[in-house]
Amino acid sequence: MTFVETTIFGGITVGAFLLIVAALFVTLAVMMLYRAILGPTNQDRVLAVNVLGTNTVVILALLGAALGEPWFLDIALVYALLNFLMSIAISKFTVERGGVI
Amino acid sequence: MTSIIAPTVIQSVGITPLEVALFVFILITAVLTALFRDVLAAIVIFAAYSLGLAVVYTFYRAPDVGLTEAAIGAGVTTVFLLLTIAKTTRPPTDELFEPINWPAVAVCGLFALVVGSTLTAFPAVGDPNSPILTNPEVTGYYLENAYDETGAKNAVTSVLAAYRGFDTFGEAVVVFAAGIASLLVLGREVFTA
Repeated sequence: MTFVETTIFGGITVGAFLLIVAALFVTLAVMMLYRAILGPTNQDRVLAVNVLGTNTVVILALLGAALGEPWFLDIALVYALLNFLMSIAISKFTVERGGVI
Repeated sequence: MTSIIAPTVIQSVGITPLEVALFVFILITAVLTALFRDVLAAIVIFAAYSLGLAVVYTFYRAPDVGLTEAAIGAGVTTVFLLLTIAKTTRPPTDELFEPINWPAVAVCGLFALVVGSTLTAFPAVGDPNSPILTNPEVTGYYLENAYDETGAKNAVTSVLAAYRGFDTFGEAVVVFAAGIASLLVLGREVFTA
């Protein structure tokens, strides 16, 4: 029996618990859309999407642990990098118009 | 003693709360991308949509598709769209949302209904009895002989890079040509260090 299959409470295994936590994080991401939609300025939206990306890294790490697929972490790393790139690109675009790259 | 959503159950049956939350997220971001009046806001929300989609691909154990979606959808497309509005004009607006074109919504809804009506013909996700998994002549052949014939450990990789290698090569040529064309249109070397 691996760690993920260990029962913690109420018949719920560690893996299932991690999955539930991941689902809660996705719910958090949906709520983050509130700021992305209404955010009075585009800077608010960029920040919201940045938080979403960070959230996604956490979700992927949780999923990787829960499902026993360590390569999920590779994708989480790519995410973290891309998230940064996207924010930088949009910020640069806002500050100096046209200077995206 | 069975847990509600054990990993083994997930692969064969229905939809988990995680998938529901992901689908809601993707649906909201997709609709918002279409609705936003300001193009920059639409681009930002589109990036969020792409991130959500990549998580879904990863969850369904398609890491290569998930990586591509994250890199192309969230990364490169965002930068290209930003370049596009940098080279053109971005009309200033006071309104948050585009006025909705209801006839277009009706046509899209009808199309979605027609496509959705075929959904019942699909096997369940991860169903071991689905025709594509039980077919011995095609799937069975690749699973048995892929490693001996190509040396690639992953069956999907062996199909992509060996069995249909010329097709993949053609795709690579198309992507390369698109990259060259983009560089020419932008009129400068973007990728110099």
